[in-house]
Amino acid sequence: MPLPAYLTVSAIMFTIGALGVLIRRNPLIIFMSIELMLNAVNLSFVAFSTFLDSADGQMFVFLVLTVAAAEVVVGLALIVSIFRTRRNIDVDDMNVLRG
Amino acid sequence: MTNFSLWVLLPPLLGFIILGVLGSLMPRGGILAIGWGACGLAFLFAIFDFFSVLNAPASSGHVSDLVIYNWMTAGSFKLDFGLLLDPLTATMLLVVTGVGLLIHIYSAGYMEDDPGFWRFFAFLNFFIFAMVMLVTADNFLFLLVGWGLVGLASFLLIGFWYERSTAVAAARKALVINVIGDFGLMLAIFLIFMHYGRLDYLGVFGNVGAVANGSGTATAIGLLLFVACAAKSAQLPLYMWLPDAMEGPTPVSALIHAATMVTAGVYLVARANPLFENAPVALGVVAGIGGATALFAATIAIFQLDIKRVLAYSTISQLGYMFMGEGAHNYTSGIFHLTTHAYFKALLFLGAGAVIHSLAGEQDMRKMGGLWSRLPITAWTFLIAALAISGIFPFAGFWSKDDILSSVLAYAMTSGNPWVYILWGVGLLTVLLTAFYMFRLFFGIFMGNYRGVAASATVHDEDDEEPASGGGHHGGAVSYYDIHEAPRVMTVPLLILGALSIIGGIFGSFAIFGATKWHPLENFLSTVTGFSAVHVPVATIGIDWTSTAISLVLALIGIFFAWRLYGRGFQYKENTSPLYQLVLHKYYVDEILTAVLIRPVLALSRGATRFLERDTLDGGARGVAFVFRGSSAGLRRLQTGYMRNYALAIMLGVVLIVLYYAVRG
Repeated sequence: MPLPAYLTVSAIMFTIGALGVLIRRNPLIIFMSIELMLNAVNLSFVAFSTFLDSADGQMFVFLVLTVAAAEVVVGLALIVSIFRTRRNIDVDDMNVLRG
Repeated sequence: MTNFSLWVLLPPLLGFIILGVLGSLMPRGGILAIGWGACGLAFLFAIFDFFSVLNAPASSGHVSDLVIYNWMTAGSFKLDFGLLLDPLTATMLLVVTGVGLLIHIYSAGYMEDDPGFWRFFAFLNFFIFAMVMLVTADNFLFLLVGWGLVGLASFLLIGFWYERSTAVAAARKALVINVIGDFGLMLAIFLIFMHYGRLDYLGVFGNVGAVANGSGTATAIGLLLFVACAAKSAQLPLYMWLPDAMEGPTPVSALIHAATMVTAGVYLVARANPLFENAPVALGVVAGIGGATALFAATIAIFQLDIKRVLAYSTISQLGYMFMGEGAHNYTSGIFHLTTHAYFKALLFLGAGAVIHSLAGEQDMRKMGGLWSRLPITAWTFLIAALAISGIFPFAGFWSKDDILSSVLAYAMTSGNPWVYILWGVGLLTVLLTAFYMFRLFFGIFMGNYRGVAASATVHDEDDEEPASGGGHHGGAVSYYDIHEAPRVMTVPLLILGALSIIGGIFGSFAIFGATKWHPLENFLSTVTGFSAVHVPVATIGIDWTSTAISLVLALIGIFFAWRLYGRGFQYKENTSPLYQLVLHKYYVDEILTAVLIRPVLALSRGATRFLERDTLDGGARGVAFVFRGSSAGLRRLQTGYMRNYALAIMLGVVLIVLYYAVRG
């Protein structure tokens, strides 16, 4: 398959992820959307890596996967903690920083 | 010749530091040992200094300038911290430390029960240090340092009983007026530096001709110096603080506000006599103000009822005499009168203090009388002092006052200036008034019947115990038979000062008896007062006789009138004649000043508080805050607190950046 096909899929995935982050109110879904965006980027990295015949892109993918894993750990911990204190994890209710 | 001045300067300073730091922990004896010891050591070295000057070889010129260290050097300008020892300084040191020592001793009795005992002695030592600094400085800058420090000491001691609002107000008044004087001295120093390029006495006086005689600059220097002198020595129009200064403890009135500090102005005129000789107009002002003050204060003193106030106005009047003598080119006479005045005025104040002490704080003459038999030592010494200040032969005041009067007359005859004749007349009139009010005071306190509250009615029915007569700061009536002579620690200084008031005049002029060469003080001071070559008129014997005879007769007339009116005791009659009321209220000077000067200044300050402080400064700060609050009120709406809004903003930002690069290519 040619490169543009991979990139198109990647772009569609990224857009879906971004819209998910902006629209959904459940933090778990937002996390999943973020993961989707990260994996869209990963897909384009791998595609470019094959296209350019270079291993650099794949190395970045490993890096992104690691960071994503760490980020999910922290994020889930935060969500649990918030749930324990507020009994509610709707992101629109978390607006104490409103000016 | 050896200069011991450093050893005069250091003990009082050390005494002040030790008492100031540890005084509150020390026993009474320790405080006295340090307070008396410091002043005693200073006096001892002042005596050494005096003999050192007296026996100095003629080649030294009787002047020794001991440089302690170089304070600053800037180009050709050099300023040292140095101690000048010359006849004038030696004389002043003897007066300051000698009278100071007697008053230190007296204070031990007077301040016996005061909780601030240690503080009092710390301040007294500080004053001695400051005054020694003033008279030993060898340049104008350190003179200013001493000048300011004695003002501070005066402030601290007037406000010694700081629980009393009147004492605090008096202290503040004294400080403010003294600062006017300090300001004058500072301006004079600036002018001297500008035109002479140096500040050390010897350098400036040796080169006094650098400013033309009688020029505007010379006059300005002289007048500015005299502003300082007038403020410190309570001359018109800056005298108002001195009567109020009587709020302090009586020994303070005796030491600072009669004997020594207020004479600093007289000292400065004598010290800077080359500058005054260089400015005849300024010297004329000195003489004129001196004469006016002498008469003005004497008229006020006649009707005062508070015994310390009578003495305060008398001090102002006598200081006027000193300036009169100095204004007539006879600087020795000013210093001479300063010395004798220190004896008898200190004696008068200490005597008044003994009276006040024995009456448990009563200062009103209407409640005294008949104390002659109760307080014999005080009464006798007070009589001696009253005779001395009235200028009765052969007491100390006779010699010094007539030295001044005859030199004024001699000056009038040499210059032929009618104003100087008027000055002489004013001096003679003041002699009459002085004798009158002093003996009014004397008869009022010691003669007639006791007019205290518990006067003749009670026949000693209460217990024999002495009432709690403390440091004279709590008033109250004492029954006649409970009045006792002060303890010996207070009467001994009275006796010493009494002896000095009798014999203190022999250092002056015996010229009236034909011994024309008998001028020990004048010869002694000649290296200082003879600095400039200006002709000083010397009174001839004829003039001496004329002036002396007239003033003596006038003094006797004054005493006679006082005896006629008050000899059988002081009777106070309410008198409503406007002239009497005018003088009784001190010509309403304080009231006029309040209306003319103080009220407007306060109104201006209040206006400044309202418009400058509140509306301008605070308003400005509030305005800045208002602008920021207004602008942030709009901006805060951006902070919705919704996470999605922030995420959208980030994303839009990224899109915009990408678009920018995409378009730019």
